[in-house]
Amino acid sequence: MSHACTLNVNGMSYPLQLDAGRTLLTVLRGELGLTGAKEGCDDSECGACMVLVDGRPVNSCSYLALQADGREITTVEGLAKNGELHPLQAAFLDEGGVQCGFCTPGMLISAEALLRQNPKPSEDEVRLALGGNLCRCTGYQKIAKAVLAAAQGATA
Amino acid sequence: MSTGTYLQPASVDEALTLLAEHGGAALVAGGTDLVVGTRQGKRTLPETLVAIHRLPGLDGIAEDGGTLAIGALATHDAIERSELVRSRWTALADASAIVGSPATRHVGTLGGNLANASPAMETGAPLAVFGAEVELRSSSGARSVAVADLWAGPGRTTAAPGEMITSVRVPAPADGSGSAYVRLEYRRSMEIAVVGAAALVTLGGDGAVADARVALTAVAPTIVRSSAAEQALRGSRPTDDAIAAAAAAVHDAASPISDVRGSDAYRKAMVEVIARRAIGIAARRAAGEAVPVPATMTVGGTR
Amino acid sequence: MATAAQTKFIRPDGKDKVTGLGRYTADLTMTGMLHACFRYADHAHARIRSIDTAKARALPGVFCILTQDDVPDVRYGPFVEDRTLFARDVVRYEGEVVAGVAATTPEIAREAAALIEVDYEPLPVVSDVEAALAEGATLVHDGWSGYSASDEVVRDGNDASRSTIVKGDVDAALAAADAVVKERYVADMSHAVPIEPHAALAQWQGDKVTVWSSTQVPYIARSGVATTLQIPESHVRIIVPHLGGGFGGKCEFHYEAHVAALARATGRPVRLVFSRSEEFIAPDHRREGQVIELETGVMKDGTLVARRGRLILDNGAYSADAPFFPQLAAMHAVGPYRIPNVSVDASLAYTNTTPSGSVRAPTAPQACWAVEQHMDSVAAAIGMDPVELRRRNILKEGDTTATNQVLEPIGAAETLERAVELIGYGKDLPEDEAIGVGCGWWPSFGGPSGAFVKLNGDGSGTIITGAQECGTGAVMALPILVAEELGMRPEDFSILAQDTDAGGWDAGASGSQTTFNNGRAVIEAAREVRAQLLELAEEELEASREDIELVEGTARVKGSPTKSVPITKLAETAQGDRLLLGKGSGSPPPSPEVDASGCTGRLGLETFAAPTFITHAVRVRVDRETGVCRVLEVAASHDCGVILNPVGAEGQVEGGVVMGIGMAMLEGSIVGEDGRQRNPHLLDYKLQTAADAPPISIAFVDAPSPYGGPKGSKGTGEPPCVPTPGAVGNAIAQVTGARVHRLPMTPERVWAASHGVDA
Repeated sequence: MSHACTLNVNGMSYPLQLDAGRTLLTVLRGELGLTGAKEGCDDSECGACMVLVDGRPVNSCSYLALQADGREITTVEGLAKNGELHPLQAAFLDEGGVQCGFCTPGMLISAEALLRQNPKPSEDEVRLALGGNLCRCTGYQKIAKAVLAAAQGATA
Repeated sequence: MSTGTYLQPASVDEALTLLAEHGGAALVAGGTDLVVGTRQGKRTLPETLVAIHRLPGLDGIAEDGGTLAIGALATHDAIERSELVRSRWTALADASAIVGSPATRHVGTLGGNLANASPAMETGAPLAVFGAEVELRSSSGARSVAVADLWAGPGRTTAAPGEMITSVRVPAPADGSGSAYVRLEYRRSMEIAVVGAAALVTLGGDGAVADARVALTAVAPTIVRSSAAEQALRGSRPTDDAIAAAAAAVHDAASPISDVRGSDAYRKAMVEVIARRAIGIAARRAAGEAVPVPATMTVGGTR
Repeated sequence: MATAAQTKFIRPDGKDKVTGLGRYTADLTMTGMLHACFRYADHAHARIRSIDTAKARALPGVFCILTQDDVPDVRYGPFVEDRTLFARDVVRYEGEVVAGVAATTPEIAREAAALIEVDYEPLPVVSDVEAALAEGATLVHDGWSGYSASDEVVRDGNDASRSTIVKGDVDAALAAADAVVKERYVADMSHAVPIEPHAALAQWQGDKVTVWSSTQVPYIARSGVATTLQIPESHVRIIVPHLGGGFGGKCEFHYEAHVAALARATGRPVRLVFSRSEEFIAPDHRREGQVIELETGVMKDGTLVARRGRLILDNGAYSADAPFFPQLAAMHAVGPYRIPNVSVDASLAYTNTTPSGSVRAPTAPQACWAVEQHMDSVAAAIGMDPVELRRRNILKEGDTTATNQVLEPIGAAETLERAVELIGYGKDLPEDEAIGVGCGWWPSFGGPSGAFVKLNGDGSGTIITGAQECGTGAVMALPILVAEELGMRPEDFSILAQDTDAGGWDAGASGSQTTFNNGRAVIEAAREVRAQLLELAEEELEASREDIELVEGTARVKGSPTKSVPITKLAETAQGDRLLLGKGSGSPPPSPEVDASGCTGRLGLETFAAPTFITHAVRVRVDRETGVCRVLEVAASHDCGVILNPVGAEGQVEGGVVMGIGMAMLEGSIVGEDGRQRNPHLLDYKLQTAADAPPISIAFVDAPSPYGGPKGSKGTGEPPCVPTPGAVGNAIAQVTGARVHRLPMTPERVWAASHGVDA
C-alpha cells in the first residue's frame, strides 16, 4: 500500500506515493535522483548516507521516507547555492580533505550540522561531531582541518 | 523492504486506538533500531507501522514536583543537553551523551531505547538506579511500571500488545546524591557498551554512604541491579578501598555471555572495573565535585 | 627537502565530489535495468548434490538465474587457475557464488536468491592454517595438482605457494650469538573496507559488452571477463566511474563477468551493488591471517647475526594474487636490517575462508608487526634501548640485503632519526603512556603503463591515460608532471581515464605504482608534445628550438622574454592541419641485480626495487585495568624518494597511519570453526573514527632513487600502513610489561596478556 507524501528537499517540493517500508535514502537516490547521499553499510555505522532533516543530521538509510513527510531535507546537493560552493565544500577542497569522495557528502552534512549548532568548535568537538562518519582514505586529519578552517572563515 | 500500512496519528489517543485496531502493529519513533534491524535481515518490518515521531507533547524534559518527567520522544541529544538532567540526574546525561553517533542521538528516543530492551542499552542502567517508573498507556487505560519490571529479556518487554510508552518519571535523588554511568568502550564514537555500570550514591551529613544503587549493563539478559554492591556501600565511607570492595560484589548479578565483543571472562573482570569507576565518580559528584559529562570520557582508555 | 611541485594543487575531481554530483557505479541507472543478487554457499566446505532453481524462477519479476552450467567451464586465476565464476561441484568458502539472479528489483532478486534450493553434502572445514599444512589434512582442492599454474609457484597440496630466503649459515650464527630470542605471533584476517562497496553494471550492444565497475584494475577486469566468458578482449570495455576507495579490496577481477553474463542472458542492463556484509564475506581480497615464528641471534653490542623465520599465511579458499605473498612476507620477516645469516620459510595455506589478496601493502603490516615487536624483545634481551638496536642494524647505502641486493643511496636511517626526534623519544611521560617505534620497508613496482597527451585548439590539454584513480590522487596529480614539461599550469589539463577503450594498458590502482609508472608515461607523452610545440615555435619566433623554452604558458626565446608566443596561439595555429599529440609508455626503470640463488619460490620479490623506508613512532596510552588503548600521537618519517605532490603524499601517510592504528587495535575478523565470519559489519569490525585518530606529524626524507619513478620518486600509497601496528605493539608492551602476540591487539588481548590470562 502506498502513501502520499511530500518531501521538501533542497528547496524543492516533491509529491510522492511511497510504500511504508521505503527508507529516505532509497527515495532520495531513486525517485529523486539525488545520489549524493551514499550507501556504505547496513547498520547505520558509516554515515555516508547522512542528510539534514529540519537541520538535524540523520542517517537516511535507517529513516523511513514517510517520516520525513513535509520536513525540510538538505542533502549534499543542497549545500552549494547559485553555483557558489558552500564554505565547507571550498575548505574540503582547499585543505585536501577529499580523496575518494565517497564519505565526503556525509562528512559535509555532519560538519554543517555541527557548525549550525556550534559555530566555533574546538578540534575535539569537530572530531566527535564527525564520529559517525567513517573515512578510509584521509585519516581524518585534513577533514578536521577543513571544518576548522571553514569555521574560522565564517566568523572572520 | 516493503510493508503494508503506515499510520500517522495526530494524538496519543489516536495512536492508542490504532494500536488497538491493528494487532501486531509496531510503533516507530526514530526508527534507528527498527529500520536497522530490518535492513540487516534480523527481522522483517511489521505489516503495520504507527509513526509517533510527530506526536505533540511527548518530547518534554521537565521537573514535576521534584520528579523528572521525560516524554518518550525526547531524543538522546535533548536529554544530554538538558541542564536539568545534567544537574540532578547526571548518570542519565552520561548515558545519553554516548549513545551511537551524533546522528543516532539526534533521532533516537528514550522511549525507543527502552522499548528495544537491549541488555546493552546505555540509558537503562541510569534509569534503574534512579528507580524510574515507565508510564504505559493503551486504549483501555494507563499504568506505571518500575523500569526494571519493563524488561523481560533481550529485545522483550512486559508491555502488552496495544500499550505504548508515553513517558518516564524519574524520582529526584535525595540531597547529597551523585550519580554516574560509565561503559567499557573500544573507541570514542559509534560504540555500544561491552559492559556498563550506573551508580547512585547518596552521602549522609557524616560523609558516609546513606544510600547506594548500582545497575549493570550487558552482563545479563536485561539491565540488572547488584544488591550485593549496594549493600556493601551503604554505611561505608566512600574510600577507594570501600568502593573497590563494593565493586567486587557486583558478581552476584553479572552472568555475562561470550560474543564478538568480549568473552564472558573478560566481561566478568571488566564489569567490576567499570562499576568501581562509576561508583567512584558518583561518590565524587555526591561530594560536590564537578566531574564532566559524559563520565566515560573522563576515566576510560578512550578518554 | 626539495620537492618537485610545491604549488598547491586542488584535485580536478574534487568539485564533483564535494557537490555530490559525481557519479559512482551504484549511482548509475539504465533504462530497463535489472538488479542482480547472488546466492552464496552458506557452507564453508560442502559438495553440491543438486541445485533447484524452479521456485526462484517462478517468482514474478525474476528474469534469469545462472549457475556454472550456464557459463563457459573455465578455470581462472592470476597465478593458479583454481576457481570458476560460479561454484562447480564443491563450495569452499561461505561467500562463494553458487548462483546469480537478475530481477526487476533488488528485493525480488534477493527473495529469488533465497528460494534457490541447494542440496549440500557438508565436508570437513579447514579453518586453521597450521592444521591445513599438517599431515593428512583435508585438501581444500583435492584436484590441486591438475590446475594450471605459473611455473615459479611452488605448490604441494594445501600449500598453495612456498618461498624461502636462505643466506649464510643460520645454525652456526645462532649457536655463536650472545643471545637468542625466539617468539611466535599470530595475526587475524582483516579487510580493506573501502567505504564504497563493490558495484558493477553491464550492458551489451551487439556482441560487445560495457561494464561500469568499481574496480581498481580495469584492464585486469577486462581480461577476466574475456577469459571467463570466452570472448575477445576487444569486445569488453570497462569504465570506472568515480571509485570510492579500494585499498586492494577492489584489485583483481571480481564480479564483472557474472553481471555481464546476467545481462547477456536477459538482454537487459544488469546492476549489482553489494551490501556491507557481502563486502566482508564475498570478494577475494581480504588481508590474510599469518602465523609468524621468529628466532634471532644478537651480539651484546647489538649486532644482529642471524634470523630464522617460519611463516604460514592464510590463502583462503582460492588463490587470487596471494601466491606472491610468501616471498613478500619472507622479505618482511627479515625487515630493513643487515642480517648476515638468514633462513626464512613461508607457506600459503589453503583454508575454507574468504580468499586473500593484495590489501594495501600485502603481508607487510602483519609481518612487520611481529618483526618490530620481536626487535624490541631482542633489544630487551641484551639490555639495549630498542631505538639504539635499530640504529645499529638498519640498512644503509652499500649494504647487501638477505637476497644480496646491494643498496643504492637510501634514507632508512634518516627516517629513524627524524621520527624519534619528532615525537620526542625519551621525554618524560605519564606512567600509563609510552612511545613505541617501528621500522619497515616496501618495494616499488615498475611495470608497463601507457598515456597520451594532446593539446586542444583552445590551448587546453587532455591527458588520456590507462591509469586508475582510486582516491589517492595519483591520477589527479598527473597534470602536475605534464604541466611542468610544457610550461603550463596543472589546471590547464583535463583527464580522460578509467576507460579501457581510451587509454593504454596499465596495471591499475595497485602496488603504489600509478605515479611511479604512469607518471613516466605522461612525461614521455608530454615530451613528444613539447617537441611538436617547439617545432611550431621555431617558425613563429624564427629561432632555433635549442633557444626556445616553454614557460608560463608561452614559448619564448631564452634571454629575450619579449620574443614569445602564447602556447594557446600555437595550439590554435596547429588545429586543423597538425595534431599536438604525444604518446608515452617508457621502459620501466631497471631492477637492481640480486643473487638469490639460495631462494625458492621466486616470484620477483627477491628484489626490492626503489625501496621505500619508513619509521613510525607512536605515543600510546594504555588503560591497564581494561586493556583499552588510545594512540595519542604519531610521528611518521618516510623515505619515498622525491615527493611530487605534497598534499597527496601527506594524505597517503595520514590515511595509512590511521588504517594501521585500526589494524593494530581493533580490526580483525573473528572466524568460527565453521569457517564463517562472525562480525561482517561495521559495528563489530571497528574502524577508527575521526574522534579516535590522533594528530600525525610527518617528515619526508628525500632520497632520490636511480631505480625510481619520475624524478627519483618511489611508491607512496602502501608504505604508510606498514610499521604502525608494530610501533603500537611496542608502546603497549612498554606500558604493561607484557607483549601481545595476537593481532589485532584488542583490549581483551592486551588485558589478558598483562594479567596472565589466556585469551
